[in-house]
Amino acid sequence: MKIMKKIILLAATIFLGSQILLAQFSVPVDKSPLDVSYYPVNYPSMKLRGTKEVPVMRVLYSRPYKNGRELFGTNIVPYDKVWRLGANEATEIDFFTDVTVNGKKIDKGRYTLYCIPQENEWTFIINRETDIWGSFKYDESKDVVRVSVPVKEVKEPIESLTITFEKTASGANLLAGWDKKTASFPINF
Amino acid sequence: MKLHKRWFLFLLICITACNSNTVETPAIDTTKLLKTHEIINNLQETNPLATLDISPMDMSYFPPNYQQMRMSDTIKEGPVLRVIYSRPHLQGRKLFQDFLKYGQPWRLGANESTELDVFEPIIVQGRKLPKGRYTLYCIPKEDEWIIAINSNVDVWGLKIDSTKDVMRVKAPVSRNNPAIEYFTIVFEKADGRNGSLVMGWQDIIARLAFKY
Repeated sequence: MKIMKKIILLAATIFLGSQILLAQFSVPVDKSPLDVSYYPVNYPSMKLRGTKEVPVMRVLYSRPYKNGRELFGTNIVPYDKVWRLGANEATEIDFFTDVTVNGKKIDKGRYTLYCIPQENEWTFIINRETDIWGSFKYDESKDVVRVSVPVKEVKEPIESLTITFEKTASGANLLAGWDKKTASFPINF
Repeated sequence: MKLHKRWFLFLLICITACNSNTVETPAIDTTKLLKTHEIINNLQETNPLATLDISPMDMSYFPPNYQQMRMSDTIKEGPVLRVIYSRPHLQGRKLFQDFLKYGQPWRLGANESTELDVFEPIIVQGRKLPKGRYTLYCIPKEDEWIIAINSNVDVWGLKIDSTKDVMRVKAPVSRNNPAIEYFTIVFEKADGRNGSLVMGWQDIIARLAFKY
């Protein structure tokens, strides 16, 4: 009887142990997967091919799907509220060199990128606080710069939120788009 | 000359046939995965800006769940480590039979090389790893994985420049763990100021301990 108890206990321990391990490793693949965009665009593959250029910046963000939903001006992306411009973690922008946004010099480093969408205008916010979840902890006193730009409508809806860069004469534009809305703001360097 | 051409053609067919044999994967119950594929495939056609990847990117912090702790104000200090990596999945393949080879470098992920961000210096097997961004890769062996911490960052994972290794350390491996479909990197916190970088795929889990 005693032995039986011991065996049951042992079996239970093993079972529980494996459950804990399973739980730890059942890190699910996210519904809104993380992605990275570099400037220069596709920098890691340029580097693989031996580019001499250096990376200027990158965005780390999660990409929610539209999934047939109405997005802007609904409770998914309400107007006039700070939005994490992504999903899950707050969106991170890393500058590998000093840049200028809206006349304000920004030291190289890691920052959080937020957006306040309105019907015809988006306000992008670069904020000093990093490594946070969502926009729940948004602290305006840690803003580095804000820039408001007009929204452009596109014909074909963009299924998953997309952030990328495009080259300009004085640097690059950060371009964000989801559903039929896109907006961009210039970064000079 | 004609004979040569024929032989060449024959060889080519052989090679192609062999290739398709190794690429083909046995059918398993992957209804969920297929669904993911379908979604991603559809997206690739409907997204004019940038397409979504089949091996999605993910990140893990140390201390574990750092951001959630920040949300609930249970932590004041900054994070110590972060790994940014892409998560390939098995899709019926066998890790060391179908695509990884013992003794050959592996990027510990997919696509871009796997990045280790060190926000606070750590000690790995008695050696100090200073603050900075690093590339992580691995040389798997049967009983241990050699983990290389390398200073060549922001590069697609295929070009590994071992001359830029900052350190190489050995991580013990355990087998016969519950199946892990998607390659997974997480951190574990132990008592005191100890932690582990934990890498798991299929039934294999490698652990690299550190102090912070």
